[in-house]
Amino acid sequence: MILGQVVLNGFLVGAVYALFSSGLTLIWGMMNVVNFAHGDFVMIAMYVAFVVFTALHLGPAVFVPLAAVLLFLLGVLVYFSLVRHVMRGPMLAQILGTFGLALVLRYATLWVFSANFVSLPDNLLGPVVTVAGLRLEPSRVVAGLAALTLTIGLHLLLTRTALGSRLLAVAEDRNAAMLVGIRPDPMQALAWGIGAACTGVAGALIALFFYISPTVGESLALIAFVVVCLGGFGSVPGALVAGLLIGVIESLSAFWIGPANKDVVVFILFLAVLWFRPQGLLGKA
Amino acid sequence: MSASITAPARSAGRLVFAAFVLLALLVWPLLVENVFYQRVGALVMLAALSASAWNLVGGYAGQISIGHVLFFGCGAYASLLGFTWFEWPPIMGAPFGIALSLLLAVLVGLPTLRLKGHYFSMATIALAELARIIVVNSPSLGGGVGISGPAIPRSMADLSFISPLPYYYIFGAVLAVLLLFTWWMGRARMGFYLRAIRGQERAARSLGVPAQRYKLYALLVSAGFTSLAGSLYAAMVGFVDPDSGLGILLSVKMVIVSALGGAGTLFGPLVGAAILVPLEEFTNAAFGGDGTGITYVVYGAIIMLISRYAPGGLAEILARLKAWGARHAR
Amino acid sequence: MRADPPLLEARDISVAFGSFRAVDGASLTIGKGEIIGLIGPNGAGKSTFFNCLAGDRQPASGSIRLRGHDVTRASPEDHARLGLARSWQVPAVFDDMSVRDNVVVGAFLRHKRASDAAAVADRVIAFTGLAPIAQSRSGSLGTPARKRLEIARALATEPEILLLDEALAGLTPTEVRAAIELVRRIHAQGITLVIVEHVMEVILSLADRAVVFNQGRVIAEGKPRDVVQDPGVIEAYLGRSLSRKARA
Ligand SMILES: Nc1ncnc2c1ncn2[C@@H]1O[C@H](COP(=O)(O)OP(=O)(O)O)[C@@H](O)[C@H]1O
Ligand SMILES: [Mg+2]
Repeated sequence: MILGQVVLNGFLVGAVYALFSSGLTLIWGMMNVVNFAHGDFVMIAMYVAFVVFTALHLGPAVFVPLAAVLLFLLGVLVYFSLVRHVMRGPMLAQILGTFGLALVLRYATLWVFSANFVSLPDNLLGPVVTVAGLRLEPSRVVAGLAALTLTIGLHLLLTRTALGSRLLAVAEDRNAAMLVGIRPDPMQALAWGIGAACTGVAGALIALFFYISPTVGESLALIAFVVVCLGGFGSVPGALVAGLLIGVIESLSAFWIGPANKDVVVFILFLAVLWFRPQGLLGKA
Repeated sequence: MSASITAPARSAGRLVFAAFVLLALLVWPLLVENVFYQRVGALVMLAALSASAWNLVGGYAGQISIGHVLFFGCGAYASLLGFTWFEWPPIMGAPFGIALSLLLAVLVGLPTLRLKGHYFSMATIALAELARIIVVNSPSLGGGVGISGPAIPRSMADLSFISPLPYYYIFGAVLAVLLLFTWWMGRARMGFYLRAIRGQERAARSLGVPAQRYKLYALLVSAGFTSLAGSLYAAMVGFVDPDSGLGILLSVKMVIVSALGGAGTLFGPLVGAAILVPLEEFTNAAFGGDGTGITYVVYGAIIMLISRYAPGGLAEILARLKAWGARHAR
Repeated sequence: MRADPPLLEARDISVAFGSFRAVDGASLTIGKGEIIGLIGPNGAGKSTFFNCLAGDRQPASGSIRLRGHDVTRASPEDHARLGLARSWQVPAVFDDMSVRDNVVVGAFLRHKRASDAAAVADRVIAFTGLAPIAQSRSGSLGTPARKRLEIARALATEPEILLLDEALAGLTPTEVRAAIELVRRIHAQGITLVIVEHVMEVILSLADRAVVFNQGRVIAEGKPRDVVQDPGVIEAYLGRSLSRKARA
């Protein structure tokens, strides 16, 4: 039964991983740019949740959408002011651009909020319920299910709507898209907006049960890299499966070999994927 | 026409200028009494050394490693573990740190140097973080607390001096060796091949450039010197913990110091260090503990600006200014 | 006559992108000293075929022999060492380096010492007429100069066979004439050439033999003059241009 609990918790966290990783994979697949500040976007969203709750005493019904909107705007702003200019430049510029952004976000937050860990109250969404021997923490369950729903929703948005096909057309072939009258710039800005909004929602959700600190983005970014590489870059369904998998693996390794070593397992998995299947577990050879 | 007349004059002028700079670098610490400045000078040399080592892989070969602290940490830990376990003078651990770094460079390089651009950067971040977490969780390696060197110097071999000056000259000497190598390399086949790989790897290979092999060579030299820098740093400070020996910010610092001065240029890292290290030390002195946060906000802003406006760093800005001047002189 | 093995021999080469067969069982045999013109509509698979010949892409099936060595799975470096050089349809010069340094990279293949490589590079630069811009940053050049630089860089590896992928495309008539003259001089040095070209006059005036690609296959081969009058070839070109018109 404990094992069932561990897997369930891993699955719920994994759904949130899947959501913010979908944002990364969308951006990456569309313009072959890696957002090294992705984890810090999640971190900013966590602080949005924290500030809204502590200063205004408002719950997730407010801070989740608010974080989504704010991060969407941040994503679009970053695209127009930075990414658009560095993405055709040398590799050094491509990598340093968003890396510099990560440092600014991380250490500006540290400056404002200090390095202390903070968190939202455990019972923000009510007390723990026990069903069939499984402890269901409302915050985890809500976060996990909401993230799962939104990740699937993002997939449907990309595959079932006119907007989605325009986005994918630009991802497929920028020049061909221009020939059929799709301007790539707004589409790419939109992809950055949506990708960042994913981190907004995911960050606000994960804040319900995760510690919040200015440097938390560092490990979250690495998780997003693992998920995207594992799922194959550009693939939202891939990110979903990989996110859930990583959540469960992480949870199981924390259980079996101790929480301190869970990151070791995730990193080793990442390196193994990079070395043996750089196209992702689910990608084509 | 005019170029052929001024060329020898210009290179003679450059030689005089270089000699002057060298002399200034050698003499200034002796003229400055203030220990704080001397210490900043030593740290500039150290940062220039590690950034110049990074520059071989990241600058010349264009493979952006963000995990170079892995090698730095090997050196630093090898030095102080040698002392902790066997009471060796810290510097005796340096060869072991270098050996371990070279081994890791091969293990890391063979698979990751195959990876394209971003993947290589991500793999190096993950590797360095992996090493850091492993050390944090290994009490025999000092865990999260870290390990120390000799409390009081036992002999000259401990390289434990109260004044920063000896460190300034030691770091400077190793830097000089590395820069000499880089200068030679820039004119030899290896330098041409690395720059070609950075420019267009596919095209380079079609001209017979064994890209994998040359990237690995660059990584090996780079790892060796980075490790040596780590060992010397450990001898100077007499202490290393996961943050000061394996923290991701150290990797970032190597990248940004090179990028600011000009990645892939001989003196770029030295120039970058001469600007950034004093900036960091003065903010730290002025703001105390808060300084770290401010420093990295500034660092982040600087690299964003560089990548947005001048990916070639100050070297590129200088070249543009020269071109602008030449256009307006006419 | 046929005592030597052919210089380059590709048999039944196939390359697929997903389910799409870009090259579909193409074969080509090249003898020493030939100039072969490879023609065919856009998307026929010429560049992909070139990439296989140069080791830049491994074919899904088929075999390639270069000077008697099996190079089907060999790296591009090995191809270069065996004396094959190429240019790229989309010029791929080393932007940060000067024109001369670009050429020196090629020259280092057979000369380890920097001074020897530089001497070879200077000779090639003079030969290709790049001397006036030798010190320019190659990233600042226009397309015609880049294409010429690619040829120079390839020549600096002292090849036996040179593959040129649309090296003359986008040039003005004067530049085309100069480029044709350059190709003739390269050939006069004993270098075998395979050129992909769209302008028929170029093929007619340069090539000993024309090979026509369509939909990944060789659909005709022979004297350039005969090939351009081949009904199948005309159909391949016309069919494409008609369907393109219909789409627009
Ligand atoms: N890397 C690739 N991935 C997918 N399709 C490709 C790739 N390279 C070429 N193609 C496709 O293969 C076909 C042949 O291309 P190419 O060899 O460039 O033709 P050509 O040089 O004759 O114009 C084209 O339809 C092109 O779209
Ligand atoms: Mg082509």
